[in-house]
Amino acid sequence: MNTVLALSGVVIKELYRRKDFYVLFVLTAVITLVMGSVSFFHDAKIVRYVKEIALLLIWVSALVIAIGTTARQIPAERENRTIFPLLAKPVTRGQVILGKFAGCWLACGLALIVLYLFFGVVNGSREHHWPVLNYCQAMWLQWVMLGVVVAFVLLGSLIFASPSSNATISFIVVLGILLLGRYLNQVALQQPEPLRTVVYGLYFLIPHLEWYDVRDLIIYDQGLVGWLDCGLATLYAALYMAVFLLGAWLVFRRKALNQ
Amino acid sequence: MKKLGPYLILLVLLAACFSLATLLQERAAGWSKRGQSDNILKVLLGDGRRLFANHFFVQADVSFHGGYYPSLFDQANRPKDTSHLTAKEGEPAAEEHEKQMNFLGPPRDWIERFGRHFIITAHTHLEGNKEREILPWLKLSAELDPQKVETYTVAAFWLRNMGKVKEAERFLREGFLNNPDSYEILLELGRLYYENNHDPARARKIWDLALRRWSEQAAANKDPDLLTLDQIAGNLARLEEAEGNFARTIQLLELCKKASPHPEALQKQIDELKQRPAARPPAAAPGPR
Amino acid sequence: METIVETKNLRVEFRAHNSGQGKKVAVNDLNLSIRAGEVFGFLGPNGAGKTTTMNVLLGFVNATSGAAFLFGVDVREPIARQRIGYLPELTYYYKFLTAEELLRFYARIFGIPRAEADRRIDQLLKLVELESARKRPIKTYSKGMQQRVGLAQALINNPDLLILDEPTSGLDPLGRMKVREIIQRLKNEGKTVFFSSHELGEVETVCDRVAIINQGELKVEGRVADLVEKHQANLEKIFLNIIGYQPQLSV
Repeated sequence: MNTVLALSGVVIKELYRRKDFYVLFVLTAVITLVMGSVSFFHDAKIVRYVKEIALLLIWVSALVIAIGTTARQIPAERENRTIFPLLAKPVTRGQVILGKFAGCWLACGLALIVLYLFFGVVNGSREHHWPVLNYCQAMWLQWVMLGVVVAFVLLGSLIFASPSSNATISFIVVLGILLLGRYLNQVALQQPEPLRTVVYGLYFLIPHLEWYDVRDLIIYDQGLVGWLDCGLATLYAALYMAVFLLGAWLVFRRKALNQ
Repeated sequence: MKKLGPYLILLVLLAACFSLATLLQERAAGWSKRGQSDNILKVLLGDGRRLFANHFFVQADVSFHGGYYPSLFDQANRPKDTSHLTAKEGEPAAEEHEKQMNFLGPPRDWIERFGRHFIITAHTHLEGNKEREILPWLKLSAELDPQKVETYTVAAFWLRNMGKVKEAERFLREGFLNNPDSYEILLELGRLYYENNHDPARARKIWDLALRRWSEQAAANKDPDLLTLDQIAGNLARLEEAEGNFARTIQLLELCKKASPHPEALQKQIDELKQRPAARPPAAAPGPR
Repeated sequence: METIVETKNLRVEFRAHNSGQGKKVAVNDLNLSIRAGEVFGFLGPNGAGKTTTMNVLLGFVNATSGAAFLFGVDVREPIARQRIGYLPELTYYYKFLTAEELLRFYARIFGIPRAEADRRIDQLLKLVELESARKRPIKTYSKGMQQRVGLAQALINNPDLLILDEPTSGLDPLGRMKVREIIQRLKNEGKTVFFSSHELGEVETVCDRVAIINQGELKVEGRVADLVEKHQANLEKIFLNIIGYQPQLSV
């Protein structure tokens, strides 16, 4: 556990010493503040569009951080040869996988806290109302979803040739699931066999990341998701994280690391 | 001299580029209309901005429904229209809309059933002052596609509802500048003058112009919307009836009959009007006293 | 005396890059034995199999057949690496970390308590003369400084076995002297040092025993003095003879 935490600490240090996060945060903040300062028909009480834009930017930034940070972890270790002095220590490859995963996931969590704090301040200043529990729940669900994404990208980093191809493919897959995952069963029903079976199979196989996107509940001031449902969704995500991490370990342990 | 060589070459190249640019400027202007536009969005996005405009218009509709909205896949099965955005409760458009919004249906599997805990599943409309939330999307849509007439009419409807009459008028006039042939915008503008500004004379002029525009488009075989004709003529007819100009009212109701789904009701109205005493003939040209 | 490093019929095969060539044998039936307290030199021309052998000992590569042990523990077990320190030939470390952070990170992996880790870090940075640069990120270091950081991280756990891959590669004469001093000091402390090098003069000076490997096979092994006496030549000539180098005849 100590080793895993030590590895994750290095990943987090890397995140806050690189410029990526700051650039994304500043971009999010600037766009949100600029859009928030625009007056539509001289009505200062319009708030939802700011929420919508801010939450969209938070989601995009978080995905960029998650995929970008994770995609380069293991390839960078190999390219920079830092993997050799690391594995020469009493560290298993499984611990390296877990450490990288924990680091990237925690880094996403820290990024989300900062982004949601900003969102809360901006929104609260307009609405004069802070549904803290709703924000916390939305942040938790998003963080859990990012855990699945991080595990998936980590597996991809061991399969695909380069970090850029891994990042591109991961972005496409994740966005595809977020936008279309909910509707694959409808698409399946419209197809002839055997395509219908294939699409339906895919529908049951993919991790349904769209469940964790509760932006609409925040934007339209809906109530909280039931805590039992929240818990079950967390468990579902944990299972997928475990599957992807296990896959990553199985691939990594067979990889020869020639100097 | 050797040290200065690369810099001199750079200067010469820059001068050549600048000269070439001034020579090509006129020619390039003729290559694409996009580059000549004074609208930065038109330059950046070209005609693709219409897609974004449409998206933002739909976003306004989504916002109106508090996030409860059919997906593209649901919409493929039931064509979606947006007349409900300006329809009042009890109207046919509103009732048709209620049916269309019943798209969710029972969940097909456990994934869909569980997934519904994380989305909005109740059909609501914005009420009270919350209708203002759709305005930014309509404004953005109009910026991106000034030729989308519906954006102006819907926005003006809600602005009027919120008591922002001046803003509604300004927006409609902006829309009319961008769409001088639009009878829909003129219809809405006329409503504004009649219902909000209580200026029937001005409203009459606007609606007359709307009627003329509609006729011009009909004459040019552009297939203008009959429902709008019904509304224009109907509004004008009500105005004329209120002012006692029954003959003109009858003329307008005859026009309405062409477009109305219930011509017999209108015929009844016409017959009643014909019965009325002093069914004044249309105003004659002023003569010598 | 305890055997620290042992290989038994170690064989490593790789798939050849050109599909027509089948498999490439990088290490063939290697039997090595290094005892506690020895400074052992591992010599061979480029491509002989030295680095592959080291990769197997460090767990980077799995042996095709045979076995390798560190302190009697199979090298595939992570615990086998608890008491070793490793300095790679090409020293690259996390560029965004400072020397102090890097050493603290590795100390944490070894489970060294905080206070003890602090003490060792101070000691090691003094030993490798990086005290003034301890708070600077490694990306600002010169090659020599990076090599010294590498040496410090190899010693953080006070290892009983030090594996060095070309430790003086790229160092100036002063740097090389310092590395030799460190190796001598470790030997005096009873540590075992296993290193590969092309600097035969250095090997002759420092090593107790050497092994020469060529084309994956162990050609000769023994004490330096014994080899020199047996072959009646210095280590360089022995090496060249073993690898089959024929000097060009003058016209």
